[in-house]
Amino acid sequence: MSKATVVVVTSGKGGVGKTTSTAAIASALAKEGFKVCAIDFDVGLRNLDLIMGAERRVVFDLVNVVRGEASIKQALVRDKKLNNLYLLPASQTRDKDALTDEGVASVINELRMYFDWIVCDSPAGIERGATLAMRYADEAIIVSNPEVSSVRDCDRIIGLLDAKTVVAEEGGRMPKHLMITRFDPERAKNGDMLSVDDVVEILSVPLIGVIPESKDVLKASNVGLPVTLSDEESPASKAYVEAVQRLLGEDLPVTIPTEKKGLFGKLFKGRAA
Amino acid sequence: MKFKGKSFIAIVLTPQIPSEEWFAEIDRIMTRSPGFFIDRPIILDVKGTKVHIDDLEGILEGLNQRSIRVMGIDGIAGTRLKPGMPPSFGGGRLTTDVDVPGPGGDATAAPKAAKVARVTPAAGEAAAAGDPETDDLDDDTNGDARSIVITEPVRSGQSVVHPTGDVTIIGSVSSGAEVIAGGSIHVYGALRGRALAGVSGDEQARIFCTKLDAELVSINGLYQIADDFGADVLNASAQIRFENETLVFERLG
Repeated sequence: MSKATVVVVTSGKGGVGKTTSTAAIASALAKEGFKVCAIDFDVGLRNLDLIMGAERRVVFDLVNVVRGEASIKQALVRDKKLNNLYLLPASQTRDKDALTDEGVASVINELRMYFDWIVCDSPAGIERGATLAMRYADEAIIVSNPEVSSVRDCDRIIGLLDAKTVVAEEGGRMPKHLMITRFDPERAKNGDMLSVDDVVEILSVPLIGVIPESKDVLKASNVGLPVTLSDEESPASKAYVEAVQRLLGEDLPVTIPTEKKGLFGKLFKGRAA
Repeated sequence: MKFKGKSFIAIVLTPQIPSEEWFAEIDRIMTRSPGFFIDRPIILDVKGTKVHIDDLEGILEGLNQRSIRVMGIDGIAGTRLKPGMPPSFGGGRLTTDVDVPGPGGDATAAPKAAKVARVTPAAGEAAAAGDPETDDLDDDTNGDARSIVITEPVRSGQSVVHPTGDVTIIGSVSSGAEVIAGGSIHVYGALRGRALAGVSGDEQARIFCTKLDAELVSINGLYQIADDFGADVLNASAQIRFENETLVFERLG
């Protein structure tokens, strides 16, 4: 069989940065030279196509493929910049009930033959869409903001990863990675946000990366480019690239963003005010 | 063909003659816990009472009216029994008393009425002790094991239910998770969810944790929520026990 790895990017809570992270991780993997497919499981509320700048080239979608109305090759959208990065978009006009377990299984099995990495963007929640997105995964990236409700939802999702996935049902243990997004060092220091240590302690899952809160991310989303492609120098982009290296098995220490702006930033702020 | 052996804990009832008062006690137990006798093996113990067969018939009749089905009678020769009566039964070994549900005051009289023996069938292997499935935390882990050990964190939304004994968790209990035990609960980690110990009426049950940050703790049905915890035990290693109808929180170490 193939050596493809299926990774689900999940969180339970909405708005934490699953889709942004999926796009950034998928394109960073593609830049490493792997054949990568990102799948949007958020049927009815699709966004990954926008973030990846593919929205004007979507013809068929995941639901068409699951229902046998189109072939996978017809539905895959190739990235504008990287020719080894593909997107399987979600349907915007259907809802999550249009997905079936067998259909998703056959789509993922077929994709395993063509790609090295398959990155599944899970919808928020713990219902059908989210459970199907994680069901056939080999590994999971759990995205959390440093904030209590997001952490608790992640905890719930981790429980599901250990119960409702094929890996778990076969008695295996799904490798899980924790990615903390929208981390603001200043607010964490003031106690407005949970610290990285707190989140890691509560979830007891190994940390794969801490992505700083950054304007570059929003800017990148709006121009339809994953941050790892649009602005390689931004701290968020660097953090994603490092996380991907850890995902590939490299043993890098996780850099926790600190208030680097330091003197310059503060002086500048002071003057502007 | 295969004969399997299985052991069950039976409730042993020791009737007293005249039986009116004894039945009144049974009725009290049933009003407090209507399900107490349901689906439990029940043995009638008449050892040493030289009960008259007509009295025994009356007792069986009375139990029958209360839908308590007796599976066997201990301490009487099978030849003395009338047709239609449960068979004579022997060979049990005493185990611990069954806790009778109810408020402390009333219950003091009750343990005399109910004793417990382990009924071991003559044939077959020993009972397969319930093998708790720690992987499938969503399921109730029932079984006759006295205690179970869970070697991973209990996540939000999961519940560990073990009504017959102690639960030990090596890892944390997350906010939104719950652990329900018939006996004590031991958490080697932070307790952030709910812990309900002694749910089968055991006031000796305790809760232990390395870090107390629970949403709710309960022993023997008496509960306390996080807002009412003392500041000295919060986030500390602590034990919680039941004493004089209150929960006592103590720091450990």
